[in-house]
Amino acid sequence: MTQYEPIIGLETHIRLNTQSKIFCSCKADSWYDPPNTNICPVCMGLPGVLPVLNEKSVEKAMLLATAMQAEIRPLSYFDRKNYFYPDLPKGYQISQYDMPLAKGGYLDLPIPDSSGLSTTSYTRRIGITKLHLEEDAGKTKNESGQRQIDFNRCGVPLVEMVTGPDLRSADEAAQYLIRLRQLLRWIGISEADMEKGHLRCDANVSIRPVGAEYLNPKTEIKNVNSIEAVRDAITKEIERQIRETGSGHKIEAWTLEWDEDRGLLKKMRSKETEADYRYFREPDLLPLRIDAVWKEKVLATLPELPLQRRQRFIDEYNLPEYDADILTGERGLSDFFESSVKAYHGESKKVSNWIMNDVLRMLKDRSIQSEQLFLQPTDLVEIITMIDKGVINTSTGKSLIDKVEQAHKKPGELVKSENLAKVNDEGAILAACKAVLDENPGEVATYKTGKLTLMGWFVGQVMRKTQGKADPGMVKGLLESLLK
Amino acid sequence: MELCDLPAFQISEMVRRREVSASEVLDSALNRIQLVDGRQGCLDPGSITDEDRKKVHAFISITTDKARAQASAVDKKIAAGEPPGALAGVPISIKDIFCVRGTNSTAASKILANFNSPYTATPVNRLEAAGGLVLGKANLDEFTYGSSNESSAFQPTPRNPWNTKHVPGGSSGGCTASVAAGEAALSLGTDTAGSIRQPASFCGVVGMKPTYGRVSRYGLIAFGSSLDCPGPVARNVKDVALMLRIIAGSDPHDSTAAVVPVDDYVAALEKNVKGKRIGLSPDYFKITYPVPASDSFQQQAIPQDIDQTVQHAAEIFRQMGAEIVEGVPMPNTRNGIPAYFVISRVEAASNLHRYDGVKYGYRTPGELDDLRTMYRKSRGEAFGPQPKLRILMGMYVSAAQYSEQYYMRALKVRSLIRQDFDRIFDPAGPYHLDALLTPTTPTPAFEMDAVYGDSVMMQYADQLTVPANHAGIPGISIPGGISSSGLPVGIQLLGPDFSEANLLSIAHAFETATTNEPWRSVKPQVLQ
Repeated sequence: MTQYEPIIGLETHIRLNTQSKIFCSCKADSWYDPPNTNICPVCMGLPGVLPVLNEKSVEKAMLLATAMQAEIRPLSYFDRKNYFYPDLPKGYQISQYDMPLAKGGYLDLPIPDSSGLSTTSYTRRIGITKLHLEEDAGKTKNESGQRQIDFNRCGVPLVEMVTGPDLRSADEAAQYLIRLRQLLRWIGISEADMEKGHLRCDANVSIRPVGAEYLNPKTEIKNVNSIEAVRDAITKEIERQIRETGSGHKIEAWTLEWDEDRGLLKKMRSKETEADYRYFREPDLLPLRIDAVWKEKVLATLPELPLQRRQRFIDEYNLPEYDADILTGERGLSDFFESSVKAYHGESKKVSNWIMNDVLRMLKDRSIQSEQLFLQPTDLVEIITMIDKGVINTSTGKSLIDKVEQAHKKPGELVKSENLAKVNDEGAILAACKAVLDENPGEVATYKTGKLTLMGWFVGQVMRKTQGKADPGMVKGLLESLLK
Repeated sequence: MELCDLPAFQISEMVRRREVSASEVLDSALNRIQLVDGRQGCLDPGSITDEDRKKVHAFISITTDKARAQASAVDKKIAAGEPPGALAGVPISIKDIFCVRGTNSTAASKILANFNSPYTATPVNRLEAAGGLVLGKANLDEFTYGSSNESSAFQPTPRNPWNTKHVPGGSSGGCTASVAAGEAALSLGTDTAGSIRQPASFCGVVGMKPTYGRVSRYGLIAFGSSLDCPGPVARNVKDVALMLRIIAGSDPHDSTAAVVPVDDYVAALEKNVKGKRIGLSPDYFKITYPVPASDSFQQQAIPQDIDQTVQHAAEIFRQMGAEIVEGVPMPNTRNGIPAYFVISRVEAASNLHRYDGVKYGYRTPGELDDLRTMYRKSRGEAFGPQPKLRILMGMYVSAAQYSEQYYMRALKVRSLIRQDFDRIFDPAGPYHLDALLTPTTPTPAFEMDAVYGDSVMMQYADQLTVPANHAGIPGISIPGGISSSGLPVGIQLLGPDFSEANLLSIAHAFETATTNEPWRSVKPQVLQ
């Protein structure tokens, strides 16, 4: 039986998070606004209006292009893509065609193995074949037999970015989107929320016998609104193509639509001929010139990229890949880690553990981002250092993380004001131990019959009596000698 | 002579000196309109009467209330001692291709007949801010597609004030007719292939196409976006200079509007032409038609009285000390119209896409359940023949399989035309001209119905004006004489980018030198 390999390319539309639209000063984000409220003569395509390019959108696209290792053209052009649709008010979309902002580019995509521990089993280079700026169209809704149009989205800046046919499985496609989303948020150019349409994805899928070099006709899957949906839809489509080919049918270049509710692909249309968009240079805009000074100024704001930082954390701080992956999940968290490590004089891994266990839990419990924390890296380091020096015990340290965040006070201050320092006075602890044993003669008797597991319970009682400030090791030692 | 016949600069001086009020000037202009204009163009005109044939019909709409409000605002400012602006009290007509807030902005098309603009075009804004009185919207060829005004959906269309059997030219024919007839002192037109200069020539007035980008296009309903230039029309050169100074300059709403300082064009008029190098090109004294069947060109010399008018102007310049350079080669002139046919139509077809009946303008009545049918019917019913022809041709020559042999080729021809000008204006080149002197049009105004319907012939009326649009350079048409048929003949001056001040000073020198020539005292028929 023939073995097939899937060939997948992704076409993404990335909505740039500029304040205003790409060719007018209307507010770009209309998520919370009623239809047709963020519109003006320009984005409505009234007679006589002209576009004026929002430079911020260019700058954000420059950051993305550079992050994708693409080359920024010093001279690029806008073009008109002509087609009729009611939510396209000018009857053409201002886009870039043969001389777009960026050229080439790739992403070296780490593909995790199946252990679930984020360890990389191999890396695949995903080429970028297209990266350009364009304006979004409006939204059409069919409701009660009427076609309703919301023009709010018209003119929202988009980057269209298309990969080569370089992905080889539905999981790889999902990984690409996960890494792209991480990158977009990291460099701060898009909220990249697929559910809100900030990151939209169409998938091109074909199959070929393993070892073949040619490309077969592909189908295009539209309307996939989450990473899970992309994975599911591609999986289904690969299965279908293998099934069809197996029964001797040819795969035709269809456009398919993913029905998320039913988990089904539906045929939208055959795609025998390419539409003719009659591209020509947009005469209403000047050629886009990006000189060295502008480029340098913009790219100076480009941070270290997530995958680079991930690798550096592994190399520089000796972290397991699993830790490095989680700590570089988002930029703020990775900055938190790095600042903490730099302020701390001990093991990097210890800081990593504290962040991965305690800080992340707190972020989750409070539903906040690392940037919103009151707790600063220096606070975390102070807590860890107090434990290292025996000033407080570990459980006090863990509770301090929450207390600092809750009370908006520094850890040292809290230890003082709440009297949290570890009790090291052996006499006091011995007295507490004695008291516990005196109060619980029954348990003492049971212990002495050989139920040694009760030791933990005794320690707990003593800790409670000392408000958790005693050193549990010392408590245990004293109890053991008393119970002998 | 009445108030409305005075030059704009004189009107604004008198208004500022309180010799006359803006409201009085307005009354004078409205009276003149009443007297000569006849009924305004409309979509459902009935039959054209003999009375109609004697009138000018320059306007589609007259915005009396708006003009009155502007006049009283000017008068109030003057009473309060505030500066009323350089165009205080000057009556102005606006080609109905510009959006003016709160007015119907129709492009002389049924598809926009009911479009009331929510915003005002930049050059109109500037005219209003300078104290100008906007009388109303001047008629034009539908979407500016023509050279006679006959293609307007709003009938009756403008007639030539010098002889109402003749066309005023186009597409800014309503503008030039209104100025020639004294209805307006100034008019704002647009020039895509000669649409200001050709009707200015036909109507015996001054019209200037500035450098591409000198005047903002914001609010100008686009025809050929890379060719369109708003520009001034007036009865004398000084008024054109005055108006250009107001409307020119960069605009945050138009990134193709040049960020180049605006000269004081009025002050520049006083420069004399001594030592200026003015060229004459044999390529501008003939009309060349391609003959597709034999893949060759046919040539026809321009009529003698037009030739003589230009030669006479050259003689005047020579007498004033200019250097006349003859035999300047402009070899690509003959390709201007074919290249224009392609480029302008590709842009026009795309610019017309937005008129789809969805958002504004005409939509076919009745409920339809199919979107494509709605598009087809709305556009089919409301576009006249000229937009339809341009859409058909524009879509054809930009289609993927033809674009290389038509559109891309036309762009190359356009570059060659630009090179012709670069060579003759290059200060270090063999000609280093200050200006090229040419006829504006190959003929005086033709009779109504004589050419209309022959799109190709109509287009060749622009052969001598269109090269400036391809090249983006400025050009001005000024009255040069009167033909044997009693119709005005214009002469054209072309110059390098942003040489408006220079062109205006040369034009002004000619105007001054010919003040006493007998043809200067002949008045348009409708004013006799």
